[in-house]
Amino acid sequence: MILFNNKTKKVSAGTVGSVNRHTNSKAKSNFYLSRKNAWLLWLCQCLNISVIALELSTWMLAIIALSLAWQALLLHQGRDTDNNRSKNKTATGHTHRNNSRQDHQHSYRQSIGQNTRKKKQQATNVSPIVLGIFALLGCVAIVITAKQVGILASMLHLLCFSYALKGFELRSRSDFYQLQLLGLFVLAASLIFRQDLAFSLITFALLVLNLAVLLQFFSFEKAFVTNIKVVIVLLGQSAILAIVLFLVFPRLSPFWQVPLAKSAETGLSDTVKLGDIANLTRSTKLAFRADFGQQKIPNYSQLYWRAMVLEEYDGRQWSRQHKSTRNKIAVAAKNFSFDNSATEISPLSYQVIVEPSFQKYLFALAPAVVTGDAKGIQAQADHTFNNSKIISQAKSYRLTSYLTAPLTLELTKQSRQLNLSYPQGSNPRLEQLALQLQHNYVDVQARAQAVLNIINKENYSYTLQPPLLDNNSLDQFFFDTQAGFCVHYASVFTFVMRASGIPARMVTGYLGGEYNGVTNTGDNTGQLANKGHLSIYQYDAHAWSEIWVEGKGWLRVDPTSAVDPERVNSGWSTQLLQQQSELNNDLFSLYRMKNIAWLNALRLQFDALDYQWTRWVIGFTSKQQYDLFKNWFGKMVSWKLALIIAVSLVISMSMLMLFLHLLNRSKTKPQSLTKWQILYQKSMAKLAKQGMDKPPSMTVNDFAKEVRQQCPELAIAFTRLSVSYNRLCYQMLSTNEQEKLTLSMQQQYQHFIQVLKK
Amino acid sequence: MIYPTRFGLAYLGFVVLVFLLGTNYQNNIILLFSYLLASLFISVMLHSFYNFSQLRFYSVAKQQGYAEQPLYFVIKITTEKTHYDINAHFTDKALNSQVEKIELCQQGSHELRLVYRTLQRGKHWLGRVTVFSEYSLGLFKSKSILDFGHYAIIYPKAKSLISGQYQLSGQADEPSLDSYQSTNSVGTDDFSELKSFVRGESKARTAWKQLAKGQGHYSKHYQAEQSQLQWLKLSEMPSNDVEIQLAYLSFLIGELTASNQSFGLQLSAELSNQSMNISPNSGLHHQQACLTALALYS
Repeated sequence: MILFNNKTKKVSAGTVGSVNRHTNSKAKSNFYLSRKNAWLLWLCQCLNISVIALELSTWMLAIIALSLAWQALLLHQGRDTDNNRSKNKTATGHTHRNNSRQDHQHSYRQSIGQNTRKKKQQATNVSPIVLGIFALLGCVAIVITAKQVGILASMLHLLCFSYALKGFELRSRSDFYQLQLLGLFVLAASLIFRQDLAFSLITFALLVLNLAVLLQFFSFEKAFVTNIKVVIVLLGQSAILAIVLFLVFPRLSPFWQVPLAKSAETGLSDTVKLGDIANLTRSTKLAFRADFGQQKIPNYSQLYWRAMVLEEYDGRQWSRQHKSTRNKIAVAAKNFSFDNSATEISPLSYQVIVEPSFQKYLFALAPAVVTGDAKGIQAQADHTFNNSKIISQAKSYRLTSYLTAPLTLELTKQSRQLNLSYPQGSNPRLEQLALQLQHNYVDVQARAQAVLNIINKENYSYTLQPPLLDNNSLDQFFFDTQAGFCVHYASVFTFVMRASGIPARMVTGYLGGEYNGVTNTGDNTGQLANKGHLSIYQYDAHAWSEIWVEGKGWLRVDPTSAVDPERVNSGWSTQLLQQQSELNNDLFSLYRMKNIAWLNALRLQFDALDYQWTRWVIGFTSKQQYDLFKNWFGKMVSWKLALIIAVSLVISMSMLMLFLHLLNRSKTKPQSLTKWQILYQKSMAKLAKQGMDKPPSMTVNDFAKEVRQQCPELAIAFTRLSVSYNRLCYQMLSTNEQEKLTLSMQQQYQHFIQVLKK
Repeated sequence: MIYPTRFGLAYLGFVVLVFLLGTNYQNNIILLFSYLLASLFISVMLHSFYNFSQLRFYSVAKQQGYAEQPLYFVIKITTEKTHYDINAHFTDKALNSQVEKIELCQQGSHELRLVYRTLQRGKHWLGRVTVFSEYSLGLFKSKSILDFGHYAIIYPKAKSLISGQYQLSGQADEPSLDSYQSTNSVGTDDFSELKSFVRGESKARTAWKQLAKGQGHYSKHYQAEQSQLQWLKLSEMPSNDVEIQLAYLSFLIGELTASNQSFGLQLSAELSNQSMNISPNSGLHHQQACLTALALYS
């Protein structure tokens, strides 16, 4: 009866257990994330959004932050209930069930799973209606603001909004997958706006993090760090193929028109007021780079990068001429493009790589002609260049300049009129000065020099913080405050020139540039530089004047040279740098950077890397691709190209396979074994195929016993083998004896194999 | 067998989407991003394969048990390296088997227990077992369908008989259910009668008391021995439904084995039918044979 009772109890226990198991496994089929994973996912969401945050409007950011905070709160609440419940569960598990430990752990995990599921349910129970309203409101807001911010931005808003909200309803595995893909898409979308090396690296790091979270889902027993390692290995392996694809895969032209990024314009603007450029110079962002290759880089004071010519002045601000631009372009296309055949001046050829400025102007050392691919680049009559589209990503073009050649020897009537006009009576004192000068100096250049002399001799100062002027009055600046930045001086100079009857105009652009090269032999000595480039930053922005002289064309006159010669000859003075760092209040201000040698070296190194990245990766065009192939394989026939693509794909794949294989091999490769060990292991493997496996903890003798029990026919052969193995391993034997025994063991092994085959 | 999961296909679609984004914006970095993701797809495939390779599975084909109780088919996995996320379930969807999972499979051996449960008695072929893994990123499902020749012998579910409802038919005498239940309650052999001593019988059984009184040499005889051959007959089970009758038999077999009595099983009326009738015996093997006969009865 006792037996009977026992049995029934067992049976009933069994059924109860099984019922539990059943419900548990049902819960398991439902989706759950471990707590760690949930937090990591949340972190990923935050980081992904932060990457693109700059492009989102504030209200959207606020909403996203709110929902993320809410999710964090839910996660946090989930933890407390989680702990309590799992404690209870384990307690009952201990007392009631005498299950094996493994089983116990299993159920423990499952109970956690159940709890998280409950928690998630809670979250979704609380919110579906609220969420729905929330989502609806968000969408309405996006639609309303769509016109303001543009299509691309509103699409981005939608993407990020859905990404943030999706986190609320992680009910099944597919939800989790969707969230992951959305996250990756957010990462990809963020690359529309910025592509520089630093940003790409950040994106790559985030990609690793995202994938690691995904991997964690499938192997949450592993530490997260090892998962990250695995992902890096995976990506490293993929990188080979990716690079091949990048080099080989044909560049396609856009399939359809896409809304262009409408980011804030950076750099110079179409109109210039007094003090504008001083603001711009606070920025340490890169404007563009120029690569002179093997040629000698011109002196610093020659590097006037021309961006815009401002010919209209309304008494307050300078602006580009608008009315007749259209005609001019038509004229320019035919007439202009500087006639390089006529000059004997040695040409200077260089490549310019412009950072995205979301504007159209390009930079050149005038006068210049575009060499190479001139697609989309328009030369203007005033020796500037324009891109046909807004520059939303790095663009490179090649120019040839003839630095000392005269600009526009003939001035049209229209142009002369325009460059002489100024609002009468806007600055009476300056007008008077101009008249005086006109009277005193007949020669045009002497008159210009006279103005520069005044600026040089009088107590004028060059500062980033000019005092405010009433109504942008040039008079006030020139006679009263006497402190200003390049625009002030250029404005005054141009105004005086015009008032005294000399055609003059304002030119804006950049001056100088920072040389960054491996053979850094000095920026200004202009020695032969093998590898290196000029980086021109926003703080290099500058404004100067041009006057037209009969027979010489437009002459460049830079009034800044009269007040601060250092700026023109070698760049910013320390005083200006200090001023700048004070204004910026920035920890990594340029001034500090330049003062700390190793930091500066690091910055330059990174800049060089970024340059190569921009040049080879961002600027890798289909033409370059074609050239590359031409270099490698000579002239191309299309089927040859296809063949090469196929072959390289196959090769890279097989290399990948081989690599993986070797990787796997090396792990399982044993240390050098003695002969008997090899023999024994061979027989071990043979037995394993028969289904007899020796756990590492079992001794050789015990295993031999087990074999005897399970396969009596093998018993004798195997026992002999085991005995010799034991002797060889553990007995002190002379080498002679060892050899003998090994030989006999070999025979025993052969015998064993024979028996096994039977 | 390795093929992309639905997520894998979605991922591919996503990569194409990123590629379109990159192409339309003529953005090399986004293109590079999409190439990287595309090649990741391939390396994940290889990883998936390596994670799933070099696994060895063993399993015992036959399992037996009562209806409505779960049967555990143990699959032993031996590995030479670490594997992740190994899942197994019966391929046959009609079995509705749960997916059993091992998160982390370190070097050595592991066990997976597949549960099978049914209401129907009989011999059930379970078909193959699907073993799969979605390790790495869930983009691929490496899968193998293994044939262990699994089958289950399902005994009829035991249904208890109310005492007195049925009387075992012995050959010599017919002890009631009550009587053997009472023996059960003691759990050991019970004294039942004295018989005159036969030469060769153990002296330990001598009824010394009687001998001392001079009443003669008797030996004690016990219930278990005495009710020697009991026959469990299908036809005598108190029901019209064969299934219920079998259920009663299943119960009785269990009881009798528990009390270590010997019994025979008679499923067909003809005594000579060897396959349907099992001659009296006792022990676990006998129990299994009898229950198997019940399971296979048709």
